[in-house]
This record gives sequence, C-alpha cells and structure tokens, in this order.
Amino acid sequence: METTSYIALSRQATLRREMSMVANNMANLETPAYRGEGMMFTEYLAETQDGKTGKLSFVQDIGTVRDLQEGPMTRTENPLDLALRGTGYFVVETEDGPRYTRNGSFQLNEAGEIVNAAGNPVLDANNNPIAVPEASGLLEIAGDGTVSTDQGELAQIQLVEFENEQQLQKRANGLFEPREEQEVLPAEDVTVMQGMIEGSNVQGVVEMTRMIELVRSYQSASKIGEQEHERILRAVRTLVSQG
Amino acid sequence: MRSLNIAATGMLAQQMNVEVISNNIANMNTTGYKRQRAEFSDLLYQDQRRVGSNSSDQGTVVPSGIQLGLGVKPAAVYRIGEQGSIQMTDNSFDLAVNGKGLFQVELPSGETGYTRAGSFQLSADGDLVTPDGYLVQPGVTVPEDAVGVTVNANGEVWVDFDGQVQPQLVGQIELARFANEAGLEALGDNLFAETVASGQPAVGVPGSVGYGSVLQGAIESSNVDVVKEVTNMVAAQRAYEMNSRVISASDEMMQSVTQLR
Repeated sequence: METTSYIALSRQATLRREMSMVANNMANLETPAYRGEGMMFTEYLAETQDGKTGKLSFVQDIGTVRDLQEGPMTRTENPLDLALRGTGYFVVETEDGPRYTRNGSFQLNEAGEIVNAAGNPVLDANNNPIAVPEASGLLEIAGDGTVSTDQGELAQIQLVEFENEQQLQKRANGLFEPREEQEVLPAEDVTVMQGMIEGSNVQGVVEMTRMIELVRSYQSASKIGEQEHERILRAVRTLVSQG
Repeated sequence: MRSLNIAATGMLAQQMNVEVISNNIANMNTTGYKRQRAEFSDLLYQDQRRVGSNSSDQGTVVPSGIQLGLGVKPAAVYRIGEQGSIQMTDNSFDLAVNGKGLFQVELPSGETGYTRAGSFQLSADGDLVTPDGYLVQPGVTVPEDAVGVTVNANGEVWVDFDGQVQPQLVGQIELARFANEAGLEALGDNLFAETVASGQPAVGVPGSVGYGSVLQGAIESSNVDVVKEVTNMVAAQRAYEMNSRVISASDEMMQSVTQLR
C-alpha cells in the first residue's frame, strides 16, 4: 500500500548517510593525506503485489568508494615531514599490530625514535623502529626512504603497497588496516619527499556542489512522501463522501 | 543528524588552527621563537556494513563496506625547530646558536629552563642573565673592571682588562640538546622545560659534534614566515566557512523533515 512512501524513505535514509560522509570530508579538509570518500548506491528490486507490472526499485547504499588521488603537496621544510609520491604506505607499529598510513608528519619521541603524531613508531625495512642517535646533525631522507645522518646510513623506511587499495579499512588517525587475506607487497613505484606534507585530497568546491545536490534530492524525496500522504488522504475523503 | 556534529568538529579544528596561526604571526618578531603547526587527524569510523563480512552463505564477501567517519580532531600542535635567521645586533651579550642546542637558564624555582633566545644582559653582580634576570647556566661572571668581552664559537667567554695583553677566560657557555626537541614544554618568556617526551638533556660544548656554534653580537630571529602563515590562515578560514555551510545544509534537510507534518 504505502510502497511509494517507502521508496522515497529508502532514498532519504541513504542521503542522510551520504550527508555525514560529505560532512566528514569537509571536516577533514586540512587533515594530512586524508582520502575523500563517496557512497556507492545500487538498486534493490522487489516484486509488486500482483507480481506482473514490473518491479519496485528501492535504493540501497552498499559501499564506500575512496578517492585515491594524491593530495596536494605543501612544503613545510620540517626534516621529519615526509610525503609519498606514487602508490605506497608507511608502516607504523600500533598496539593492534602494524597499520599503514600515508600521513608522513613524523616526530621524534623521547627515545629518539621516529614516530607519527599519535606516537606510533615508524618501521624500517626489517620491521624495527628507527632510532636517531642523539648527537647527530641533519637528518637526510632519500627518495627510496633511506634515513641517514652525518654519521652515515641509519635505516630504510619500509614502504608497502596493496593490490586493491579500496579494500583497506579506515581506522582513526589516518591509519589503514588491510583485510586478512590482503597481501602486503613492497612498494615499487613510490618516492619519499622530505620536508613536504601531502594534504587532504578533498576539494571543497566539489564537496559543496555534492552537498547542494544532496539537500535538494532530500527535499524532493520528502516532497514525494508528502504528496503521497495527500493522495491517500484525498482518496479516503472521496471514498467517504461517495459512501 | 550525524553531519551536524561532524561539521562542528571541523569548525572547532579550524578555529584551533587559526589560533595557532595567529600566535605564530604575533610572535614573528620574538627572538628565538619557533613556529608551531596544528595537525589534524580523522576521528573514529563507524562500520555500517563491515568490509569482508559474508554477504551470502556461498562465502561471498562484501568488497568495500560502508564506513562512516565521525569528523576530525586536532592531533598535535608541534613546534618546527628549523633554524631562524641570524640577525646582527653588535651587542656583546647577544648570543645566537647556529645549529642545534639550547642555552640553559636557572629558573626562580631552582629548575633548569632552556631557551634559544640569547639576548642576555649583565646583572648588578656582573652575572650573565636573561632579560628577566634569570642566571645563565653554568654561571658566567664578568668582572667589573673588564673593558671587553669576547664569546667565541665554542662558547668560551674571554675578558679583556685595561693594561693587560692577555685576555682571561672567565666562563664557558654550554648547550643542551634533546632527543625530541618538539616535546619540550613551552613555559612562555621564550623558555622551555624538560618533559618525559623530550627526553633527558645532553649537555655539550658549542661547536662540538652535534651542537651548534655560538655567535656573539647576534640574535636568532623567529622562524615564522609571514607569507606562509597568511596563506595558511586563508585556507583555514575557507575550511571553517565550508563546515558552517554543512551545518546550514543539514539544517535545511531537517527542516524539510519537520515540514512533513
């Protein structure tokens, strides 16, 4: 009976979730190496009551699509700000095991180890934290991730890549967790740039237009619900007056 | 509506960003000031449809689920220890460190403070003190009848006396280094204090390996680049505005719901 309203409602529910996605993108306009996200919709077909006159089409959100484009690079001149050009991730050690990130705004901790903003140590090619000796001068990090001081080479930052980046699960603090069956491969086509930071790849203007479109769709969907309500009301009134 | 709260986190973050930037601009002429940068990270994600969960009893899995982010939070405000430019002042008690290391200062509480601002002066007793009158550690006392003071690159303080050919060594300035300089706690007045995050100070003679050299008659100006700060401020302001637009758009959506009756 009320399928029309339910179809409109299915649209509204998905639009609300998409709106929080747009809001999250906007909130992270300035988060280093943040990847913008979009929603993927599909049709959900249901039989009509008589089963003859075609199918009813509801909308369903089935997945998040991540924009994998590189964010704009900004020069910071901080020797521990590292940006990645090309496909690849840094590896950091967390309590829950290794996590992967492209946010290379690193610092030193009290032990002289290179850590990210949350204090998780960055791992080298042998899965060890990278400790910088105290009395070393300038820190040089080469394009392949080799860390060296004036006393010579220290370690090489581990850089990895994944076959299907879309399958990585997002965690807080710009970290990613791969699915169990996802293989961690050494990155082949990536360059580390020292003194640079990769910005968020969210484009404010694009998100704004998405948002406007979203609000209008939401309004038109609620209009359908409203009109459907009036139609039923009219039908009831007409039937009552005739009877 | 989640988007209201999410946009609010975005506005709060940008507000903090502008605060950090304005502090940098306010301190563009502060001796030895190191610019700060606010850094953000995304908040938790809510799984609406978990990646990798089974979508049928045939073992098919969801290839990319729905993860809704919940906004942004400030992750850190950290100091960028880049060397500030050296400015000549020709004042014999102005000392600049060219390279790594901080001067040590005895605070009134008895603890040791650390500073890059080497605009020192002499106290009534001839001791080398900061503009606030705190003693520089290890202490350097310049005799009253001295006619000239020379501080060399290694921090040795030599004093000339009238009628004497040989200058006399009266003190040695030492510098402290930290494993994590960004972890020092700022006390204000250009002073810093040691914390667990910064690690223990390693004290050494200026000019030795890993330590910067001392330059007499110069001060280190702040490393704030005004052009960069203003550009950052414009970007932060735009981001703030866009987040406020999200709030009004969410409001509009909710309004259309209330009009449904």
